[in-house]
Amino acid sequence: MAQIKNKFWYPVFYMFVVTSLFSAVVIGFAQITADRVQANQQIAFEKAVLSVLPVDLSELKSDLAIHNYFTENVEQPSKETGGAYVIRKNGEVIAYALTMEGQGFWAPIKAVIGIEADQKTITGFYVYQQNETPGLGAEITQESFINQFDEIVIAEGPKSINFKRPSESLEPSEVHAVTGATQTSTRLEKIINDALIQWRVKMKNR
Amino acid sequence: MISKKTKQLVREGLWTNNPIFAQVLGICSTLAVTNLVLNTAVMCAGLIFTLSLSAMTVSILRNVTPRNIRMMVETLIIAFYVIIIDLVLKAYWPEMSTNLGPYVGLIITNCIVMGRCEACSISNPPKIAFFDGLFNALGYSYILLIIATFREILGMGTFLGYAVPYFSTVWDKWIIMVMPPGAFFMLAIVVWVFRSIKLAGEDKSK
Repeated sequence: MAQIKNKFWYPVFYMFVVTSLFSAVVIGFAQITADRVQANQQIAFEKAVLSVLPVDLSELKSDLAIHNYFTENVEQPSKETGGAYVIRKNGEVIAYALTMEGQGFWAPIKAVIGIEADQKTITGFYVYQQNETPGLGAEITQESFINQFDEIVIAEGPKSINFKRPSESLEPSEVHAVTGATQTSTRLEKIINDALIQWRVKMKNR
Repeated sequence: MISKKTKQLVREGLWTNNPIFAQVLGICSTLAVTNLVLNTAVMCAGLIFTLSLSAMTVSILRNVTPRNIRMMVETLIIAFYVIIIDLVLKAYWPEMSTNLGPYVGLIITNCIVMGRCEACSISNPPKIAFFDGLFNALGYSYILLIIATFREILGMGTFLGYAVPYFSTVWDKWIIMVMPPGAFFMLAIVVWVFRSIKLAGEDKSK
């Protein structure tokens, strides 16, 4: 063995074998869990969309019930809705759910915002994917932060929703940023405003 | 029966050669994840799994691993176990996976793991390497949990997310404790206290 270990090609060969072996196990494990991971992501997304729409989630007890409700009641994005998910009652739009995505401090942030049929009043906001700092930037997923969006009104102009320092008083289209997470707050504010501006343009041009 | 060697590994990992206050390793994650007790506990469980099994695997392969590429192989083995944890969390505990965000992946860069692989596993049989990894991880974990408990209670008035009497109502929350500077203060105090106790014990035994 000692003789083989001294051959010049041995380190390359050994690294190749070890990498192949461990990679094969990881790929195999990822394949086994892939369906489950994908299903978890889909349910997380559907929960997020429903949570920003005027839907009573407490009646939907299981993941299957949530999935069935979403499939039966939520209309897929179209040109007519400016690329937003829609929920209707008797054919009339009740609310839109606009998905958005952008770069956070550490990784992409994916969120969804609910807007009433008047296209101005926010019905809810939810972050369903993020990798921000736990305890700081990750507070954007907490109720104390997302509940601020309920019932606020989108402002005209380049900043539809404005993030203010936690100590400052708020106007109708403003929310408080997260304490100690300036980068996350600034980036999330841009993600929300970019998405809302683009959606409004699409709704005008539909 | 616990052998003499195992007892020595227990004593060293938990006390005389503790990774945090004796070796001063793994400080980055100590500072980063200790603002919430639940996140710290899951991070510690991940590290216990990764360190004990990585140390054992490095030891099993030690006689066939070329010395000049050993650190690449060690990193590969550590990354393998960390990816397995990440996949398990994503598939079976998606909420925790979302909460921990980037920190699971960052176990790869925890210097305790590489430190123990280099200091012990590369020159000892698998059983000793496994116990060395296990008790070093446990030694790391209890110090982190002490720091996290103080930071969460003083900074947020909660423990494991539940409100703590007095601290959640009367106590004027020290927000700095859940921010990065608070981690430095708490780490310095904990290292000071534990080193003082350790030194006092050594003086007595002389």
